[in-house]
Amino acid sequence: MASDKSAQSPAVSARGVDKSFGRIKVLDDLTVDIPRGVTYCLLGPNGSGKTTFIRAIVGMLKLNGGDLTVLGQPVSQVQTIYSRIGYMTQHKALYPDLTLQENLEFFAGLYSIEKQERERRITDLLDMVNLLEHRHRLAGDLSGGMYQRLSLACTLIHEPELLLLDEPTVGVDPRLRQTFWDYFDRLTSQGKTVLITTHLMDEAEKCKIVGYMRAGRMTAVGSPDEIKRLAGLKPRLELWLKEPEKDAARLKDLGYEIDSVDIAEGLVRIRLQSHDRIKGLLEEVAPLDMRLKEPTLEEAFLRLSEAA
Amino acid sequence: MIGMNLKVDVDPRRIGVVALRVIRQLKRDRRTIGLITFAPIVLMILFGYALSGDMSGVTLGLVDGGGHDVLKAHLEGIKDFNILYLGSESDAERLVSEGRLNGAVVLEPGEVRVLLDATSIQISNTILAAAQAGAQEEMAKLLESLASLPSQGAKSGDMSGDVNLIVTRYLFGYDLEMMDTVGPAILGLVVFFFTFINASISFIRERSQGTLEKFMVSPLSRVEMVSGYVLGFSLFTLLQSTTTLLVVTYGFGVPMRGNPLTALAVVLLLGAGALVLGSFFSNFARSEFQVVQFIPLIITPQIVLCGVWWPLQSVPEFIRPISYILPLTYAGDALRSVMLKGAGVTDILYPDLVALGVFFLVFFLAATLMLRREVG
Repeated sequence: MASDKSAQSPAVSARGVDKSFGRIKVLDDLTVDIPRGVTYCLLGPNGSGKTTFIRAIVGMLKLNGGDLTVLGQPVSQVQTIYSRIGYMTQHKALYPDLTLQENLEFFAGLYSIEKQERERRITDLLDMVNLLEHRHRLAGDLSGGMYQRLSLACTLIHEPELLLLDEPTVGVDPRLRQTFWDYFDRLTSQGKTVLITTHLMDEAEKCKIVGYMRAGRMTAVGSPDEIKRLAGLKPRLELWLKEPEKDAARLKDLGYEIDSVDIAEGLVRIRLQSHDRIKGLLEEVAPLDMRLKEPTLEEAFLRLSEAA
Repeated sequence: MIGMNLKVDVDPRRIGVVALRVIRQLKRDRRTIGLITFAPIVLMILFGYALSGDMSGVTLGLVDGGGHDVLKAHLEGIKDFNILYLGSESDAERLVSEGRLNGAVVLEPGEVRVLLDATSIQISNTILAAAQAGAQEEMAKLLESLASLPSQGAKSGDMSGDVNLIVTRYLFGYDLEMMDTVGPAILGLVVFFFTFINASISFIRERSQGTLEKFMVSPLSRVEMVSGYVLGFSLFTLLQSTTTLLVVTYGFGVPMRGNPLTALAVVLLLGAGALVLGSFFSNFARSEFQVVQFIPLIITPQIVLCGVWWPLQSVPEFIRPISYILPLTYAGDALRSVMLKGAGVTDILYPDLVALGVFFLVFFLAATLMLRREVG
């Protein structure tokens, strides 16, 4: 019964969490729910408390206040569910003087994974991170990106329910990064939760939910689209018109928000309330060319930061 | 609070996993293997010979007033002594006080007087020891001849026991005896030193490469982690102490009267103590550099105060309590008892093995408790 109840609870739930180092408040009344089965991105500038929050989740920090539960367990009991958590630190926590196979064997051993199963998982994971052929090389001989991939494989070896990844794709090339994301999608489709910190906006775009942290608080939470709406950003439509001035005036009268008019270029920029107003607009004017520009998360966060 | 976080469930398999990893890492570290094998030999030569008291070029005056042929022959037989034969004690006194002689021995039928230059204790001791040894030899000869007299009866039997005792001690010779006391202690010192350094550097690395933080978020408990280290390092302690024992006994002729396995057990216990001490002190260092700086603080007192090179009796009384908490004091004593006197486990149980065991347990606990602290 208890497990049923905990299975429905969020993967991580923080209520008014406070943490200070000396006089510096690193987590300030942080409240957030991280649902299960999603990729959740913690985004925010350096020093906003992302890593501290992750370390709080794994029970490495003594909180100054607030409630924090992890997979339905209060954080004071989190050590009883360590086998269900995968934690990848910014340090690539590996042994450079062991081979890839030995590193994976070691971490598998910590979770008491039987030999046959262990071998299967090692092969699968090395294949996923594209390191299968380097299996018997020393980890210390790997390049930075390869090392990062091995570190991820070591974190996944015990198939954790909750994955906490602190900047996991640093130094990983874009193609392989896509492989990672495909793998994360596979994990979430199995009901696992992936919590990621990143500086990269295009990565955050790939997450189901993005939480924007600033000065130890969660200032905005939602899907990437929701965040953009929250920041008050609208898609922009660029229209190349024969009579830009005249058309702009007419559209303005119809209630369209004109951003700018470039007479020399024949270009009119419009902020759209919603995408369904495009159809009505095209009934009014006949552009020579047009382009729809979606707002980026980066713009959204810049806007949010300014607002804060 | 700390107690609450201390996971106490212990799974031997996980300890094995850590031990296997430690062994794999050390196995690949050829330089360390070479170092732990050859360092004892170098140390042995350094300490064994440099401190052996084997002095050459000692100038000794000899005033032969007769009556001590055996003693005189003994002194003449020491090749490191340059003997100058003098006519009178006053000549000897003058030459010693002028510093032209290191000392003099005056032989008279009723008495033997040794004149020494007290400014050099080591040389004085060498001369005194040589004179005493010669006197013992003379006494032995005398008792032998007394024993051969039929009228002495049962009493001579007792005395011949004493004679044998003296003669046995005497067979070691002076130089070798120094080596004997130093050998077992070097065995302990080498194991303690290298295990301490290797263990503290290993733990520093666990911290700096982030694996410690990863352990903390795994089912591996701190007790299992430290135990795994103890187990893994023990294999190397065993390798090191075996080679050192072979060098000490075969290379330098130090006797092994007791069971070599008992000696190895003592060394293993000492090594385990050094490991947990290293693990504990790694919490106070931020880098490998700083670990090396612990050597004067941790290792040197052990060498100075363990009672091997300088007897405990010569350690000032207010410092002596430190001697009694240092593991090398007990390990040195236990090893000497096993190797030189043939002591068994029960003979060295108290205080040596008990003290080593307590030392290990105290720092095992301290090391496991400290591991978490820095992270939180």
